[in-house]
Amino acid sequence: MLGKWDSGKAILIIYGLAACTAVFAVFTILYQYVAAWSSWQDVVSAFSNERILVALGLSVTSSFATAFLALVFGIPLAYVFATRSFPARNLIETLVVDVPQTFPPIAEGMILLLMLGPASPFHVNLAFTFSALVIAKFFISAPFVISYVGRRFREIRKSGIDFTARSLGASPFQVLVTIYLPLSFREIAAGTALCWARAMGELGGTLIFAGVIPGKTETIPTYISVSSAMTASALAATILATSASTLALVSFKRITSTAERGFK
Amino acid sequence: MTGLSIQGISVGYGAQKVLDQFSLDVLPAQTLVLMGPSGTGKSTLLHAVLGLVVPKEGRIMLNGTDITVTPMEKRNIGFLPQDYGLFPHLNVLENVVYGLAMRHVSEKEREWMGVRMLGLVELSGFENKKIQELSGGQRQRVALARALAIGPSLLLLDEPLSGIDQVTKLEVATQLKRLFQKLEIPVILVTHSPEEAFFFGEHVAILMDGKIVQSGKIQDVLRLPQTPLVRRLLLPFNTE
Repeated sequence: MLGKWDSGKAILIIYGLAACTAVFAVFTILYQYVAAWSSWQDVVSAFSNERILVALGLSVTSSFATAFLALVFGIPLAYVFATRSFPARNLIETLVVDVPQTFPPIAEGMILLLMLGPASPFHVNLAFTFSALVIAKFFISAPFVISYVGRRFREIRKSGIDFTARSLGASPFQVLVTIYLPLSFREIAAGTALCWARAMGELGGTLIFAGVIPGKTETIPTYISVSSAMTASALAATILATSASTLALVSFKRITSTAERGFK
Repeated sequence: MTGLSIQGISVGYGAQKVLDQFSLDVLPAQTLVLMGPSGTGKSTLLHAVLGLVVPKEGRIMLNGTDITVTPMEKRNIGFLPQDYGLFPHLNVLENVVYGLAMRHVSEKEREWMGVRMLGLVELSGFENKKIQELSGGQRQRVALARALAIGPSLLLLDEPLSGIDQVTKLEVATQLKRLFQKLEIPVILVTHSPEEAFFFGEHVAILMDGKIVQSGKIQDVLRLPQTPLVRRLLLPFNTE
C-alpha cells in the first residue's frame, strides 16, 4: 500500500502539517504585538504603570528564586535518580517529575493552602507571602531541571566514564563535581531556562496560595487574571511577561547549542 | 608484593551466577591474558576486581590486603576500559593527571608526573591537545598513561586493541608489550582474540561459563588444548 503513495506528495503533506503547527504557534505569540498596535499609545504608557512594574519585579525575582532552588534541590535529585536503585524509584520519579507538569495548577494551590496555610497541620502559615509564590512555582517548574539534567546524567552513567573516574581514585562526590556537572552544562542551562520561563507564567497555584496582593504577591500573570482582558494595561503586562520569557529561552538556546558533546 | 589473588569468588546478577567459586592468581611483573568468548564472565571478573560488584562469597587479595569490599576509589587499580573512557571536557594532560588531582597532589607535581607519563607512552608534546583531536591509538596511550600515573598495584586492560585499526594495531601492541615488560605489577589483559593472546601473554587463562577451563603458558595451551571449546577458541593457531 505504501508503495502506491506518491512519495513527493506525501512529503509535501508532512511539510504542510509541520508548517501549520509552526505558523499557529508563532502567530499566537506575535499576535499580542498586532493587538497592541491598534492602541499602541495606551500600551506604551501602560509600561510605566507602577503596579505593572512592581508585578513584573515580583514575577522576575520569584522566578529567579525558584530557578535557584530548582538547581540546589533538583540536581542532587537528578543524580540520585540516575545513579541509584531503590524500591519504588520509578514511581517516585513519576510523582516528582511527570505528575507536577500535568497537575491542575488550581488543585496545586488548594493543596499548598491546606498544607502550609492558616489551617496547616504543621503550624506554619506561608499563605499570601513571597515564599508562597516561590513554593507554588517550584512545584510546577522544578521538574524541568530534574528531567533535563537527569536525562544527561543517565547518558553519562551509561557511558561508564564515572566508573573510570572512580577507579582513578575519585569519590562519588568528586565524580559528581568533576565529571557529571561539567559534562551537563547544556542540560543544566536549558533546564534552568525552562524552569524560569515556566515559573514566570505560573498562575493557578500562585493565585490560590499566594493570592493577588499588589506590591506583595501580585505577579504579571495574576495581574492579567484580575484585569479586563481588553485593556491596554493587561496587554502591556502580557507583552512584558512573554517577551522576557522568549528572550531568555532564545538566548539560552544560542549559548548552549555551541557546546561540545559526547564522550568519544 | 604478592600480586593479585582471587579466592573462590561467586558473582551473579539476580538468580544468575556468572562466576562460580572462581579462583585466579597473578604474580607481580606477570602479564596474564584472560580469554574467552563473549558472555563467559570476563567483564564480570573485571568488575569484581575493580569493585563495581561485590562477590557473594570468596575474597580478593591484592598484595596481601583483602580488598573484597573496599570502595572502588580506594583499591588503587589502573583500569583501561574498552572505549578508553577519556574525559572529553579535559585536555590530554588533565586526563592523565586526573587521578593525582583526586588525591590532592600539588599542581607542580601533577604536571611533572603527567609530562613523564606522556613521555613513557611516547606522546610528549600532546599535553594541551583536546581528546577529540587524537587518533584511536593515541587515545589508548593517553588512557594508559592516566591509569599508570596513579602508581597502581594492578593494571587491568579490557580489549585494549579493539578500537585500533588494523594498520596501526601491531605498532600499538608492540608499544604496550614493551611497557608491560617494564612494570613490576600484575597485568591482566582481557581479549577474545587468540592473536592478541599469543602476542601479549606468557600466561593465558581460558574462561568459559564463569570458570577457568585451562590455564598455563600460551605455548602449552596451544599445544595441548584440553577441551574442544578451547581448541575452537584458539583455532587460528591450531595446526591440527
